[in-house]
Amino acid sequence: MNILCLVKQVPDSLEVHMGSDLTLQRDFVAQILNPADESAVELALRLRDAHGGSVTALSMGPARAEGTLRELIARGVDRAALLSAPACAGSDTLATARALSAAARAMGPFDLLIFGRRAQDGETGQVGPMTAALLDIPCVANAVQAQMEDGRLSARQLTEAGTADWRISLPAALTLCEWSYALRLPTFSGLRRAKTAEIERLSPGQLGLRPEECGLKGSPTRVVKVSVRESGVRQTQWMTKDAVCERLSELVREVKA
Amino acid sequence: MTTAVYCEAAHLHGLELIAAARRFSQSVTALCEDAAHAQACRAAGADEVIRIPLSKDDCAQGTMAAQIIGQLGPDSVLFPATVRGRFLSAWVAAKIETGLTADCTALSVTADGLLLQSRPAFGGNLTADILCRQRRPQMASIRPGIYPMPERPARESPEGMTAPVRCLEGGPVRDYMTRTGFEPARGADSLQDARIIVAGGKGIGSKKGFEKLFRLAALLGGAVGATRSAVDAGYIGYAHQIGQTGVAVRPELYIAFGISGAIQHTVGMNASRTVIAVNRDRLAPIFRCADIGIAGDWEETADAMIASLEKGSGSAPASGRG
Repeated sequence: MNILCLVKQVPDSLEVHMGSDLTLQRDFVAQILNPADESAVELALRLRDAHGGSVTALSMGPARAEGTLRELIARGVDRAALLSAPACAGSDTLATARALSAAARAMGPFDLLIFGRRAQDGETGQVGPMTAALLDIPCVANAVQAQMEDGRLSARQLTEAGTADWRISLPAALTLCEWSYALRLPTFSGLRRAKTAEIERLSPGQLGLRPEECGLKGSPTRVVKVSVRESGVRQTQWMTKDAVCERLSELVREVKA
Repeated sequence: MTTAVYCEAAHLHGLELIAAARRFSQSVTALCEDAAHAQACRAAGADEVIRIPLSKDDCAQGTMAAQIIGQLGPDSVLFPATVRGRFLSAWVAAKIETGLTADCTALSVTADGLLLQSRPAFGGNLTADILCRQRRPQMASIRPGIYPMPERPARESPEGMTAPVRCLEGGPVRDYMTRTGFEPARGADSLQDARIIVAGGKGIGSKKGFEKLFRLAALLGGAVGATRSAVDAGYIGYAHQIGQTGVAVRPELYIAFGISGAIQHTVGMNASRTVIAVNRDRLAPIFRCADIGIAGDWEETADAMIASLEKGSGSAPASGRG
C-alpha cells in the first residue's frame, strides 16, 4: 500500500520571543518534528513493512523543513517532498488543506493519508479532516491504533465518551494521537541514504493551485490581533497543608450549600 | 447577525452556545441531531429548531450538515469543540470552503458586525483574535463549559414539548465507513457536572499516584481531572483531560496537585469558584490561578487531606450534581 504522511516542523519550545516590533521571533527557536506526526510516520512504516508499498513524507513549510524530511528518510521513509513557496506563507487551515489535497492528488494515488492529530504550535487539529473532506475520503480523527484486516483498515478512535472502532475501505485518512506509536530510530543505512536522497520540491503552480488559492490570499480567516494573555490572576493566600486540612470540611460544606 | 448552533445528540453543550449566541445574534437557529432536545434549545433561546438526520458515520454527518447549512445560509455557525464536534466543523468548513476557528475561548461581534473569535495560541501564551471577513458562514468551535449552561426551566411546559421542529433534507449522502464497536469511558460524564474536582499534573508521576487522587475525590464527593501531560504520560484516561484540548470545567472547588499551570490547562479551570493549588515550586504559574496556595509536596498534602476527611467523617461528602 502507498501511504502519504503529512508532517510539520514545530518550535521545540512554546515560549514566546517577541521582537521590538512585536512580531513573533520564530527563527530563534529550535525546530522539531511535530510529536503527533512521529506517531503518524511510525504507523505508516509498520503498515508498509507488513503489507509492502511505500511511504512518502510531505511537508509544507519553510526550506529548513528539509532537514526534518531527511531525518525521516534516515528512519525508513522512502520518498520525501517539500512544498515551500513564498506564495504559501500565511496559509490558514483551509488554505493548507487545499494545498495538501492538491499535492496528494498530484503525487498519488495514495491508499492512505496519515496526519498527526494536531500540531503542537497551532493546535487546531483541523488540517487532517479538512484535507480528507476536500478529497472526499473517509477520515478517522484522534486515532490511537490502526491495522489492515482483509484488505480494509480498522482504526480505534479516542473520544471523550469512549473508544470507537471503525472499519474503512481505502483510500482513507487518519489523524493519530501523540502517544500511539513511538517513532523508530534511524538506521545506519538510512542515515547514509538520507545524506544523498533527493527531497522533491513542489510548487503551487505545479500542483494546479492558482495564486488566489494559496497563502494569505487563499485563507478565509485572518489573525487581526495577538495579545499576551493576562487573565484571571487571583490573590493567593498562602497556607500550610495542615491549615488547609482544617478548613477543608468547611469548604466542602460551602459547596454543598 | 444570524447564528446557527450545532447540537450533537450525545450531550447538551449546544445549549451553552445557544445562550451565548443569543447575546450577539438577531436570530439563533438550533441544528439538532436529536429532536428530543428541541424544547431545551427553545428554552435556551433558539428561535427555531431544525433537525439534522443522524448519519452512521461522522464524515457522512459532516457532508449532510454542510448541505443543510448551505441551504440555511446563516452568518455564523458554532459547534461544541468535542472530538466529534471539532471533526464535523472542520469537515463542514472544508466542504463549504469557509473559515473556521477551533477552540475559541471568547466570541463577540465587532462594530462592523463580524464575529470576533478569540483563541489561545502558542500553547496558550498568547491570545489570537481572528476574523473571517469575506467567506460565509463564519465558523467556530467552542469548548464545552467555556460558556455557562443556561438554567433549565423547572417544569417542562406542555406547549414546549411540541416545540416546532423543521426538517431539512440534504441530498443523498454515501456511507464513508462502518462503526464496529464502542466502549464507553469510565467517569467521563461526571467531570463537567462535578462540583468538586481533584486534578493532577505530570508531577503525580504514576497511575498509582492518581489512585490516591481518586480516593480523595471519592471522600470529597468529587471527580478527578488531569492535565494533558499527565494524560499523555498514560497516568489517566483522555476523558479526564482539562484544558484547551480537553474539557473546560467550572466547579465550586478545584484542587490542583502537582500542576505547573500552563495556560493550556488553566484556560479550562480558571472559571472555578475556589481554587486550591499544591506545588513544591512557589513560583509555579498555577498559583496565579489559586485562591489558596500550599507550597509543598502533593502527596503529603493529599495524604493529610485524606486522613483529615476520614477522621472527621462527621461531615458527609458532598454529592455531585446530576
